[in-house]
Formats: sequence, C-alpha cells, structure tokens
Amino acid sequence: MIELKHISKWVTIGGKPNFILKDVNATVNEGEFLSIMGPSGSGKSTLLNVIGMLDEFNEGEYRFFHEEVHKMKEKQRSNLYKQYIGFVFQAYHLIDELTVYENIETPLIYQDVKSSERKAMVADILDRFNIVGKKDLFPTQLSGGQQQLVGIARALIARPKLILADEPTGNLNSKQGEEIMNLFKQLNDEGVTIIQVTHSEKNAAYGKRIIHLLDGRIEREE
Amino acid sequence: MFLHYLKVAFRNIRKQKMYAAINVGGFAIGIAACLLIALFIQHETSYDSANPNRHHIFRLVGEAKQNGQVHSGIAFPAPMSKAILNDFPEVEKAGRIMSNSLFGAANNQVRRPDQQNNTYEQGFAFADTSTLEILDIKMIYGSRTEALKQPFSVILNKSMADKYFPNQNPVGQRLIFNDNPRLPIIVGGVMEDFPTNSHLQYRGFISLAGVSFWDNEQSQWTASNYDIYLQLKPNTNIASFEKKMTDDVVDKYMVPAMVAGGQKNAKESFKDTRIYLQPLSDIHLYSYNIEQDDTRHGDIRFVYLFAAIAAFILLLACINFLNLSTARSANRAKEVGVRKVMGGSRNNLINQFLSESLLYSFLSFLTGTAIAVLALPLFNKVSGLYLSMPWKEWWLIPALIGGALVIGLLAGIYPAFYLSYFKPINTLKGNLSLGSKNGRLRSSLVVFQFSISVVLLIGTAVIYKQMQYILNSKIGFDKDQVLMIEGADALKEQTTSFKNEVLNLPVVKNVSVSDFLPVNDTKRNGNTFWEEGKQQDDGFALQHWVVDENYIPTLGMKLIAGRNFSKDFHTDSSTAVVNKALADKLGIKDPIGKIITNGGEHLRIIGVVDNFYFESMKQQVTPLCMVLGNSNSIVSIKIKGADMKTALATIEAKWKAFLPNQPMRYTFLDERYAAMYIDVQRMQYIFTGFSILAVVVACLGLFALAAFMAEQRTKEIGIRKVLGASVAGVFTLLTKNFLKLVGLSLIISIPVGWWLMNQWLQDFSYRISLNWKIFAFASLLMMTIALFTICFQAIKAAIANPVKSLRTE
Ligand SMILES: Nc1ncnc2c1ncn2[C@@H]1O[C@H](COP(=O)(O)OP(=O)(O)OP(=O)(O)O)[C@@H](O)[C@H]1O
Ligand SMILES: [Mg+2]
Repeated sequence: MIELKHISKWVTIGGKPNFILKDVNATVNEGEFLSIMGPSGSGKSTLLNVIGMLDEFNEGEYRFFHEEVHKMKEKQRSNLYKQYIGFVFQAYHLIDELTVYENIETPLIYQDVKSSERKAMVADILDRFNIVGKKDLFPTQLSGGQQQLVGIARALIARPKLILADEPTGNLNSKQGEEIMNLFKQLNDEGVTIIQVTHSEKNAAYGKRIIHLLDGRIEREE
Repeated sequence: MFLHYLKVAFRNIRKQKMYAAINVGGFAIGIAACLLIALFIQHETSYDSANPNRHHIFRLVGEAKQNGQVHSGIAFPAPMSKAILNDFPEVEKAGRIMSNSLFGAANNQVRRPDQQNNTYEQGFAFADTSTLEILDIKMIYGSRTEALKQPFSVILNKSMADKYFPNQNPVGQRLIFNDNPRLPIIVGGVMEDFPTNSHLQYRGFISLAGVSFWDNEQSQWTASNYDIYLQLKPNTNIASFEKKMTDDVVDKYMVPAMVAGGQKNAKESFKDTRIYLQPLSDIHLYSYNIEQDDTRHGDIRFVYLFAAIAAFILLLACINFLNLSTARSANRAKEVGVRKVMGGSRNNLINQFLSESLLYSFLSFLTGTAIAVLALPLFNKVSGLYLSMPWKEWWLIPALIGGALVIGLLAGIYPAFYLSYFKPINTLKGNLSLGSKNGRLRSSLVVFQFSISVVLLIGTAVIYKQMQYILNSKIGFDKDQVLMIEGADALKEQTTSFKNEVLNLPVVKNVSVSDFLPVNDTKRNGNTFWEEGKQQDDGFALQHWVVDENYIPTLGMKLIAGRNFSKDFHTDSSTAVVNKALADKLGIKDPIGKIITNGGEHLRIIGVVDNFYFESMKQQVTPLCMVLGNSNSIVSIKIKGADMKTALATIEAKWKAFLPNQPMRYTFLDERYAAMYIDVQRMQYIFTGFSILAVVVACLGLFALAAFMAEQRTKEIGIRKVLGASVAGVFTLLTKNFLKLVGLSLIISIPVGWWLMNQWLQDFSYRISLNWKIFAFASLLMMTIALFTICFQAIKAAIANPVKSLRTE
C-alpha cells in the first residue's frame, strides 16, 4: 500500500543542506502494524507526516496505492483523509471552538453521515473511551491526557483503514496507554493498517514491525 | 453542515467580542447609510411614475445662448400651446399652467363669504382643462372636464376643501379671494392632493377660461408666463418634432410679433434658440439648470453623489471585515489544518468561512435596519423629505435578505479563499508567519479607507466654508433685524398711515413698503430696457422693481453715486436708482442723469447702489432698476436694538389696531435669506453626517487592527521592555506605521479633494477660494482622530507589565 523509495528531505541552513530525512526506503502493506522509534529529533514525526501526505519531500518517490503522491491533487488528498486515513497528532490539535463531542463528530460531518447516525457513533466511542462526562467541555478545559484521548477518538470515529499516530499515548498513564494499544491491536486484527511513532519499547512491541530512525536515516528494522 | 458552520461562527463571535462588535458595528453603520440613501433614491426616481401616459407627456423647455452662456426656461407666450396643437398633428393634447404671482397665482388670501378672517393660502396656479387631463388629475368631486369650464372657477385639493368645506361636496360653493367680494371664486371641483412624488405640488387650480391678465394678453407673443405640457401621439419622433416645432414657433409667430413691435433683427436674435421636450419623468431630477422654474426640484447629481457616498461607506465596512479576517487568520489557521486532515475539502472550508461572513452580514443587516429606522426621522428633517420604511411593500424583506447575501459574499470571499488555502502542515506546526503575509494588501486598504474619509472631510469643510461665506459675506444689503410683514395689501388705503405709525414706534428704525425683496418668493419683474437714443436691439434684460423712498435705507443698501429717492423732488416719479451691474452694462462712466427706456417708460437715473444679491449666489448679479411706486403687500421693518420680542409685540399690536380680522403674518429677512440656500445647507448637513460615519467606520477598523498588532507583538514588546525600551519608545514603535499609512492617505486624498470641491464651487458665481487652511484642518483632524484611535491600544501595550506578558508564553 505504501512504497517509499529513496525519500530525502532537507532544509538549507547557511547554504548547506541539513537533512531531516535521508534516503528512506520502506514498504508498508495493508493490514500491517508498524512502529517507528528513535531519539528525539530523529525525524519520526516528519516521516509520519510525509507518509500522511501532509509534508513534502525533496527527493525520492512515494507511491500510495501505486499512485505517485506528489502528483496528487489537493482534492484527491482531501478525499483520502476523508475516507481512508485517521490522524493522531503528537500535539493533539483539537479545535478550540468545538466541544469534545463536536470535535469527535467533525470527520463524520465531512463524510455526510446522517445526524442520527453520528449521534450513535459518537456516543459509542465516548463510552468506549470513558469520557462521556466530558462531552460538553471545550479542549482548554481538559487535561493533556484527556485531550489526547479525544484526539484518538476523533481519529478512529470514521473507521479509517489507515491510522497514523504520533505518540498516541505520550500523555496517558500506563493503564490508559495499554488500553489504547489493545484497541489498536484489535483494530489491526480487524484489518486496519496502523503506523505509530513511539518512544516506548513496550508500546512499540505491539507492532508487527519496528523501524528505528537515527538522524533521518533508517538505522535498522526488526 | 450549515448548522455546524453557524455554531462555530457563533462561538467565534462570542470568543472575540470586540472584533465581532467592530465588524457588525461597521457593517451596520454602512448598511443603515445605504438603506437611508436607497430610500432617498427610490423616492427621487419615483417622481410622476403614476401617470399612465408618462412616456408621451413632455414639458416644453426653451434654451437660448447669451454671451456664450446657455440659459433655459420654461415660461412661454400665452397663445403658444394652442398654436402648437393646431400646427402639429402629432400633438394629442396641449395644456398650460400659469404660476406667476404677479397675476394672482401662487398666493391668495382666502375666506368663505360667511367668514371674517382671511387665511393666506399658497400653491395656486391657473390651468387649462387639458392640463388636468395631461397630468391625470384625479377628481374627488366634480368632473375633470367641467370643473374649470367657467371663468373664475377653482379646483381645490382635498386638504384645502376639507379646511373650508368640511364633510361636504363643495362644488358650486363660493370663496372670496383677496377680499374682493365682487369677484367670487366658484369651486368647480375637488382633486386629490398631489402625491409627494409629483413634480407639481399645487393645492388649487384656477380656471384660465376667459382670463386676460391685460389687454390682448392671450394673443400676445412677446410676454412669456406659461408653462406648457404636451401629450404626443405614440411613436412620434421626438428629435424631428422638436426641430419642426422650434422653427414653426420662431418663424411663424415669435419673429413676426417682434418685428411688429419694432425690433429689426428679430430673426437674428433667435439664432441659438431651441425648444425641446422634457419627458415628464425627467422633470424632477433633470431640471437643475433651468432658471425660473420655481418648483423645488431634485437633482440627479445629488442622487449619484449620495449613492456613491453610501457605497463607499459600505465598502469601508467590507474592508474592515476583510482586513480583520486576514489579520487574525493565524487564530484560525490551526483549525483550517485540522479540518483539512479530518477530511474537510477546500470547498468545505470556503463554505464555512462564507457562512461565517454571511452570519456577520445578517446580524449587521438586522442592526443596520434598526439604526436606519431610528435615524429616519432625523434624516427626513435634514433632507426635507418625508420618507418612510416601505414595510408594506412585498420586495422589502427579499431585498434586505438579498442585500445581506451579496454583502456577506462580497466581504467574505477573499478571506474565505485566503484562509482555506493554508497547507495543514504549516498551520499545525504553528510556524506560519501569518498575518504579516498580506500586510501590504491590508495597508493599501487602510490607505484607501482613510483617503475616502479625508476626501469627505475636505468636502464637509469646503461646503461649511462656502455656506459661512454665503451667510456672512457682504451681500450688498443688511439682512439682520428686518421683519417682513406679508399680506399687507389688506391694509389698502391705510397702508401709508400704517407705515407712518410704525415708523413712529421707538423700536423701529425704518419702514419700507415693497413687494420686491432680495430673497426668494417675493416679486420679480423682468423687462427689456435700453439707453435712450439707442436702438431697441441694444436692449438688455433688467429687473424693474417698484419700491418706496425708505427702501434703500431700510435694507441698508449702499449708494455709490447720486442720491436716493426723495419726497422733496416731485419729479422722482420718472426716475430710477439702478444697481452697479446696470451701470456697468450701460458702459458709461457717470450714469447719473442718463435716461433708460423700454419704449413706454423713460427713467432718469438719479443714483447707483452697490450690487446686492437678489438671486442665488450661484448666479451673477444682473442689472436692476428701482422706481418709486405702489407695491403694497410686503412691509419691511428695520428694528432698532436687540429686543426683537418687544419690538414684535408692539408692531403686532399696531397691526391688530388696523386689521383686527387678519392675523399678522411675518418672517425675518435673514431667515428668508438663509432659506434660499437650504439646498446648500442640507448638502452640508448630509455631507457632515456621512463623513462622520465614514470616519467612524474607518477608525473602527483601525482600532481593531491596532489592537491586533499590539496583541501580536505582546511578547516582542515585553522583551524590548526588559531590554530597556522606554514607554515612549514602545508607543512610537506601535503607532509609527499606522500614522505613516494615514499620512500616505492624506497625500492621496488632498489633490482628489481639491479637484472635486473645486468642481463643486464652480456652481457658484460667488465663492470662496480653496486655501491651504482647509486642507491643513482636514489633515490635522484626521491625524488626531487616527492617533487617538491607536493611542488607546498603544498605551495599553506600552505600559503593560513585561513580566506578565512573557509569563503567558
Ligand atoms: N520546518 C523545519 N525547518 C527546519 N527544521 C525542521 C523543520 N521541521 C523539522 N525540523 C527538524 O527536523 C528534525 C526532526 O524533527 P521531528 O519533529 O521529525 O523529530 P521527532 O523525531 O518527531 O522528535 P520528537 O521525538 O521530539 O517528537 C528536528 O531536528 C527538527 O529540528
Ligand atoms: Mg515528534
């Protein structure tokens, strides 16, 4: 499904190219559960953003379902986000003007899901994440962990086929983290492809494959 | 989806109350201005639209060139309408209106035969029956074809009929006009009042049947007193008809009549004469350059001007919206990125932002409509109109909704495209240097806003100055402390004794009896004179005023040569005091002793007065001569001292003693003089009002932008202060750029304002010159207002505790 060939990305600082990603080659098939690890600043988030087609790269080839990503139109990408991909951000990125309920509901609105159906789906996931009581609060009224949960709930609500998660459990306690990981595992078993960035060996172990990054290069795979 | 958008929009409004208030407030002001002006324009363009034959009805206008200047008028000889009707098969109907107050039109003292007291009624005109038909006069009592058949019959309008004959059909009843019981006027019918959007506002029509104002008046081609209306057959070629008609009237009637009167090169004098047809629906708005058209008309130039001003104010409000939306885009950027990643397409986002601007627009329309309704009475007062919100019209609500849609889309389209363009990665990483990106566009728009405001301010200042000039400049007579008693002809033989008794009152300085005064709605008498010994062809038009020997001192006119009339000279009955314009016209150094004549009258010039304005300052002072005589319906009294109240009471007591049955009707000369410039005054008020609005809207935007900039630079300011920047330094930092923009707009707007107002002043023969002070004043005012506007934000930011602002980071 995902084919990265010789992907490089750099920024020019003082006339010298400064590599963020260097010659990254990777293939991810449907139904995989991939973990990306590496020290801070090694380019994990950047790589995930490239995979998520949010960020551009300077060199190399990236095919998503055999289609060259850099040739895609904005509309195509937008449709992929709508129907295919769910994002969990390291920095949550909830919409401040919307309540918990409305934040989770947003992807469904863009998919033109009927209002009654939306209600049922959101209620269901609120229940699953144990945040029913918070549904009318605004993001600023939540703790970091709670915001992260909402971010995950929002990514999962539309039942995406590909989940891209940047440290999804970074702000959760170990029990919550474990629950999320189990949820991911369960989704993966149902056929959802998952790519996650994590610092935790334990969480990484949920993945079927782990890529280690160092200074923008794939150091090793296991 | 739409509901979702609205919800977010409402939340944003709640979160950013100040910005929302400024957006809605600015829009509302613009919309209120537009609504009021739309009402005004709708009213102005609706004149005479009720007449079913309006496309075939015309008023005749004559145009002649004199010394390179084009003069036009609407008064024609008495036999002309019939001649045209007979000579041209294209003419279906032709009718006349005679409104010259010299012959009993315009104003009359009216009473029922059983009443003692006269009431002064205005708005009479003589008319033909065919005129009633052309103008589609609607009758309540009596028949349109019969009502004016009898000589001395009158058609009253409903309000006047109700006044004299309440609750009855007055047809056949009698009225006494001007205390002349030997000549009772018979009511022939009652017509509906003219609607306010009719170019005619007469209250009564007197029959022209059998009327002859002097011997052979009805067949005379050398005197022009009649307005002529024609109804043409459909499909008449107007241009060729105008040409045929002009040739016919001039060659067949006018020239022979003048030749018979002794003028030799009569044909030559009509060389540049043209008679054209003015369509009925054009009369109201396109008559501003027709002289001697006493009815108060609108002016298409005002319609355009006000429409432009309203559009500009609305544009200023749209600019505020655009500037604030793009300046504050950083606050929305993250939302845009997240939504895109959640699957929102660019179209979704554009729709969302447009919904938001539509919400603003609808809120503003509600507020704006409310403001317009509240401001309507004031607007009416200032503009002298009677406009009302047309709630009952089916189109009002759809028009308002349509307007809200258009404005919402217009103001929202750029921000929507701009905001929805953001790439998610940039906005999510938060490293977008937003806000500063289209700083140049924003700056240009601010410059545009302030340029418009400054132009309006300059306009206001110039109009104010010109008005002050009109009211206070040397006008050639002393208008202050002069009381004008009208309707004094009722005194009849007692006029002289009334005059003498009033003259003896201690509060009175001087008294003069004359109907000719240098203000509107008093008598005028045009005539052609030439210097004795020369040819009639050398004649020139002059005003021939009948005054008494107290006239010149009472009105404070200045004799620059010769002497005033005097009782001591018995020969003064055939002498004249002329104005300087007439003396100049004669072109002789010493005109005293020279004789001017119109063939019948021979007048020896005994004195010359300095020019005084007796028509609007828009026109040059024309030749005028004054002769001694009896013209007794207006008594002018110059009051001594400042106690007008006591003076008035004493004079009124005297009047009562003479005429117990007729209340004293009076006005003040200075007020009458000011009334002549009511249109300038109105223009001044309206301009002032709108420029205040424009400045307010522009400053609202500036205020919000300043707040935004200060907010954005909180951290920078904090650091600078920690590093030792002074309060003054920070203040300068924050205000400098804005003041630069305002300065730039001054540079742009001053030449524009100069040019525009110079054009406007060309309308006045007597005008102020545009000097630097006006522009300095407008500039200084604008700078001060702008500085105050940004000051608030700048001071707030400058004195803020730096530790606090840094800690919040
Ligand atoms: N737009 C940018 N311009 C310059 N450098 C950038 C940019 N984006 C990322 N970098 C650099 O790229 C490197 C990788 O950043 P990235 O966010 O991918 O790290 P990460 O592995 O996710 O780290 P962390 O574990 O702290 O989240 C960092 O050194 C960062 O400074
Ligand atoms: Mg990261």
